[in-house]
Amino acid sequence: MRTILAAAGILVIAALPLVAPWLQFVLTLAVAKGFAALGVAVLLRAGLISIGHAMFFAASAYGVTFLARLGVNDFAVLLAVSVLAAAAVGAIVGSFLVRYRAIFFAMLNLAVSMVFYALCAKLYGVTGGTDGMPVPIPTIFGISLGEAAFKQVLFYVSLMLIVIVGAAVHRYLDSPLGHALSAVHTNEIRLEYLGIPVWAVLLIAYVISAALAGLGGAIAGFAIGRVVPDFAFWTASGHLVLVAVLGGIGGVPGAFIGAFFLELLHSAAVTVTDAWNLVVGAALIIVIMFLPRGFYGFFEREKASAL
Amino acid sequence: MKRIGLSAVALTIGLAAAWPAAAQEKPDALGLGIFTFTSGPAAAYGMPGKNAADLMIEQINAKGGIGGVPVSATYVDEAQGAQGVIAEYRRLAADAKNQVMVAALSSANCLALAPIAEQLEIPTVGWNCDTHQLLTDGKSKYVFRPNGNTVPEFIAYAIYLLDRKPDVKTVAIINPDYAFGHDAATIFKAALKALKPDVEVVAELYPKLGSPNYQTEISRLTTAHPDVVFSNLWGGDLENFVRQASPRGLFRSSQVILALGETVLQRVDLPEGVIVGVLGDGWWMSPDAKANPETAAFVAAYKARFGEYPVFPSIKMANTLIYVKAAYQAAMQKNGGKWPTRAEIAEAMKASKVATLTGTTETRADNDGLVDQIVGVTVKSPDHPFPVIGQMVRYKGDKLMPQAGQDPIGWISTLTPEFAKSLPKPGSYK
Repeated sequence: MRTILAAAGILVIAALPLVAPWLQFVLTLAVAKGFAALGVAVLLRAGLISIGHAMFFAASAYGVTFLARLGVNDFAVLLAVSVLAAAAVGAIVGSFLVRYRAIFFAMLNLAVSMVFYALCAKLYGVTGGTDGMPVPIPTIFGISLGEAAFKQVLFYVSLMLIVIVGAAVHRYLDSPLGHALSAVHTNEIRLEYLGIPVWAVLLIAYVISAALAGLGGAIAGFAIGRVVPDFAFWTASGHLVLVAVLGGIGGVPGAFIGAFFLELLHSAAVTVTDAWNLVVGAALIIVIMFLPRGFYGFFEREKASAL
Repeated sequence: MKRIGLSAVALTIGLAAAWPAAAQEKPDALGLGIFTFTSGPAAAYGMPGKNAADLMIEQINAKGGIGGVPVSATYVDEAQGAQGVIAEYRRLAADAKNQVMVAALSSANCLALAPIAEQLEIPTVGWNCDTHQLLTDGKSKYVFRPNGNTVPEFIAYAIYLLDRKPDVKTVAIINPDYAFGHDAATIFKAALKALKPDVEVVAELYPKLGSPNYQTEISRLTTAHPDVVFSNLWGGDLENFVRQASPRGLFRSSQVILALGETVLQRVDLPEGVIVGVLGDGWWMSPDAKANPETAAFVAAYKARFGEYPVFPSIKMANTLIYVKAAYQAAMQKNGGKWPTRAEIAEAMKASKVATLTGTTETRADNDGLVDQIVGVTVKSPDHPFPVIGQMVRYKGDKLMPQAGQDPIGWISTLTPEFAKSLPKPGSYK
């Protein structure tokens, strides 16, 4: 039932740009943020809130531009290498951050990400400062496409990635490693006594979540065509947490539902009023008040009744 | 019978004449996407632009619109950041009614939108963004900037300063910590180095954009005791800085240059003798502006509606809309009165020379605009409760611009003191 719903959802999203072509950009961006929010959601399973995941998002987007500057011009290579770069940054940062819990974990993530933000904004000669750097249009397996065609390919590739990466993350969360995350949340000491190294469990989760944020960042970089330090700003990190909570952390689709909802709501609100922040904020309050388990809560309940 | 036959012939001819005109239907409204900051701290700069756009569009429509078609604007808030701005740009572009985008205020947003403008083939007119990186490749077909760029804007201050204070030895810089502040510092320093190599930069401070407190920076500036303090702070930042620096005597101990000082003349009490300018020619009280009845009417209407005189961002916006209107008129003249396509409008913008409220803007081969630069110092005015700009100079736009495609900083280093001597002197523009 839920698989059918998810498939239908993706088909609807795939068809939307045929009706309104400008939505393609909004939806690509939503997919990108969905991946990053999924990364945040993975850590939320273990009760760890990261207010710094925009760093990995930005690291990967900057990675794309640096690689492009070095002459790498293939979409798949750029995507893969920049995701690996984000994962590598995640491994380094994670190796000491996963020793912390609760507010300390959140704040240290925030701190590290803001150092990264400051570097992006200040290293004017390297990163272009606040004006950022352009992301060129890459070739796809040697075929060079026009900008419009590339953006279309990017959109459908990222939708495919939702299915592939989404399934992989689902498997991961359902594996012993994934279940260990919730166990960390409930009783960490018992886990250690069972012989499961909490540090390793969390580090693996951290690296996976950094890679997911990196995947989102690379997609966003390609879609926007320019990388600016604002990608790494703490409000962007907060936005990702919001998307994850809004969508619900019960399952993989939650992050994407949250991202699509928030991006479309934003797009609708800005067309109505200058006080678009107010509309977005009010909608969030309503969702949080009445759907404490996020949008994904709907589908979870359905599962329970089907059993 | 004969009469009927005649009228039948007349009707046929009339119909035949009317038929093609009906085929190139004019739309019921001409849509413009106008991008500016309408929320957040940058709205201090963006709202005067929006106000001017409102007023200008009203005035254009009162005179029958552009080619008989009323203008309707959709405003986009740049405070959403590049992602939201791009999404809105694409949405507006999808509607064929929206033929021209007036975008944007922020240089980062202009840089982000430029490739999309080229891809979607929509004439996009930068009304304020002035980074010299925007049009450097010279390949832009659809991105225009009648507003000019950072290079002439900040060289003008160096030249004016050396005319007014030829014996300057030490300079300190306090600019906002983002690309605009760093670019301005680079250009100003390069110009000083070329024109008077012995000038020493004793402090370079880059406070965060939106800082409420400048006490530390002011302490640094007063202890460094430079002959000159240069700043391109703007908006609320500039107001805060002036309010905090005034009582601490910074304006007495150093010659201060506030590159965007004109925007706060009506809001804070600037002492006399501060070098200020308008990053272009958009000073509503300049001799050229005063001589233009259209400008006087615009200023009076602006003051009546918004309770303040326009500041240069307002004039930049108004001039940009005049530029867009002129492009429509030129395009329609060229194609015989038909309603122009987006491509025809862009074509009409190329190499155009448009009379604005405060001067002219000339679009050169790389689509960058040549506008004059007005610089002066604050002086008391018998007519207004706030200081105005006196001792003005008006540098010709083409004099201070590198050739299209030339590296701007490299070009600045080729300037000589003799070149500066050949330019008009402070006080010559009256």
